[in-house]
Amino acid sequence: MNLNSMALRTLARNRRRTLITSFSVAFGIFLAVTFTGSGDYSYTNMIDTGAVMGFGHVSIEAAGYNDKPSLSRWFTEADRIGSKAEGLAPVTGAYPRIIGQAMFAAGAKSSGGMFMAIDPVHEKAEHNFFLRSIVAGRIFEKAEGRGALIGVELAKKLNVRPGKKLIITVTDKDGQLASELLRISGLFETGDHAADSGIVLVPLNRMRQTLIYDDNGATLVAVYVNDQRKAGRIKSQLEGKLSGSNDIEVLTWHETQSDLSGLIAVDRLFNYLLQLLVGLVIAAGITNTMLMSVLERTREFGIMMALGMAPRQVVRLVLVESFWLGCLGVAIGIVISIPWFYYMSETGIDLSRHVGEDYSAGGVLVDPVMKLRLFKESAVAILATVFFLTLAAGVYPAIRAGKIMPVDTIKEI
Amino acid sequence: MHHNLIAQLSGVSRVYLQGNIEVKAVDNLDLDILPGEFSALCGPSGSGKTTILNMIGALDMPTSGKVYLEGRDLSEIGRGELSRLRRDRVGFVFQAYNLVPVLTAYENAEFVLALQDIPSAERKARVMAVLEEVGMADYVNRRPDELSGGQQQRIAIARAVVSEPAIILADEPTANVDSEAADTILDLMEHLNTEKGVTFLFSTHDQRVMSRARRLVNLRDGKLEADEIKV
Repeated sequence: MNLNSMALRTLARNRRRTLITSFSVAFGIFLAVTFTGSGDYSYTNMIDTGAVMGFGHVSIEAAGYNDKPSLSRWFTEADRIGSKAEGLAPVTGAYPRIIGQAMFAAGAKSSGGMFMAIDPVHEKAEHNFFLRSIVAGRIFEKAEGRGALIGVELAKKLNVRPGKKLIITVTDKDGQLASELLRISGLFETGDHAADSGIVLVPLNRMRQTLIYDDNGATLVAVYVNDQRKAGRIKSQLEGKLSGSNDIEVLTWHETQSDLSGLIAVDRLFNYLLQLLVGLVIAAGITNTMLMSVLERTREFGIMMALGMAPRQVVRLVLVESFWLGCLGVAIGIVISIPWFYYMSETGIDLSRHVGEDYSAGGVLVDPVMKLRLFKESAVAILATVFFLTLAAGVYPAIRAGKIMPVDTIKEI
Repeated sequence: MHHNLIAQLSGVSRVYLQGNIEVKAVDNLDLDILPGEFSALCGPSGSGKTTILNMIGALDMPTSGKVYLEGRDLSEIGRGELSRLRRDRVGFVFQAYNLVPVLTAYENAEFVLALQDIPSAERKARVMAVLEEVGMADYVNRRPDELSGGQQQRIAIARAVVSEPAIILADEPTANVDSEAADTILDLMEHLNTEKGVTFLFSTHDQRVMSRARRLVNLRDGKLEADEIKV
């Protein structure tokens, strides 16, 4: 018995109902693409932004530094460890850095904040948000030099500009106060108040001397990967490569930016719950339509069963109809979602008027332009979930169809 | 139970509930149907004709008594097996034709053979032969809504005959067609009975059917009133 042919003809016979049901399925895909795509884009954007503000996707740190950040927690051979990390395929950059608390002073004014010591020759702007955000002057040229790149709000607070002197005071590795005279080479403006008013980039080798670290000392090596989802895998590989080094630990962004990680986890959960609810509403609609279709064809099913069609064959027939409805709905969903996705991934919707240009969450700046990005696995999950929901929506009507008693539906044989 | 009988009703009663009122559609009925019969159940509306056909066709079960089809007690057979029994051993001709609307005339006639998983080539040969016999070979690609009542009934007869069942149960087969079409349908059924030995059991009010039937079973209030075999 060719159930496919019968199911397709039934769907063709009731074109309007078939189209309405298929568009419900398609609308489910459209919504799922929007919700999931928005999540995939914004989470990746936030994770990447968080990573380029200091600690990377993966961070090789002095043991205990993440729990209690202190300049007394540092490790040697950071340059060699960074080179090792760069040897892994998905790694796009690995940078020894020293990040710690400091006091900044200029003239009679002073302010507390964080410094990040970097090698300006080695660092790429794509992996350093501050280098991308220079609005005046430039980055200092040498790791041994005395340059400093400071946030615009801090510069305003200290009443300084490029070319002016800045004194940085830190506690060295032994807990002694140490100061260094720097000269401001440029200003950055990220849009994040905390960063612009409290962070200063300084030369790595100069700070190694100030903190009495050795030539390869650092508090961390920030490792960047081409896809944030690979952070866990890279962590495991690095742990393997660095086994035996008791004074260091390898952490992913989940651990170094636990606030952001928690925020994303909660937001993702709500996103999934919302999608689940929307999916259930759509599935209920499809079930209702299928059930109506079954009830309208009670007599038809009764005839077929009277002629010898087994109840399970009737169940299969309705399920096959659900299958083809799912296929059609998925196809329509793809067709209507592609232009929307293309527009939203290229242009997006600018929400800055509502949330501001410097909206941040979990300690990182959030792109005020709502855009979509869809990971391959997300796209597959959406299509598979919607398709199987459609199939599942057909189960109850199919069972109902299988329970039809032919004698009740055929008043005259 | 006589094993050479096509169908046998033994002390069969069928009671329906209409609200709180019990309605006895068939009342303690005994009836034997022999192979090759061309018989008609006659009687006024509500005399139990359709209920009897339903029970012989394994669509309904008696409240008491036994119904046998080719020697098998239908009360001892599960729902799935009853489906197979209907598919393989019973042909139905409905008053309202009851063709499957999404299928063509050919596919409607082929329906039961397809359920039986008969190979495609054999199905085609058998269906076309039967459609030739009922004079519908030129209408194979028509949908039911593109056929007249008489044509639809001929397709329904082809559908009932093609699987070579033990018995064809026909409920008021001429009720919804004009006189000319009714005569054609009766000619066809008579031909299939006499030439191919197909057993027919009708329920009818139609004098034309009664005049052609070789056995008339008269029913009243679910009871056998008369059983007349024409010589």
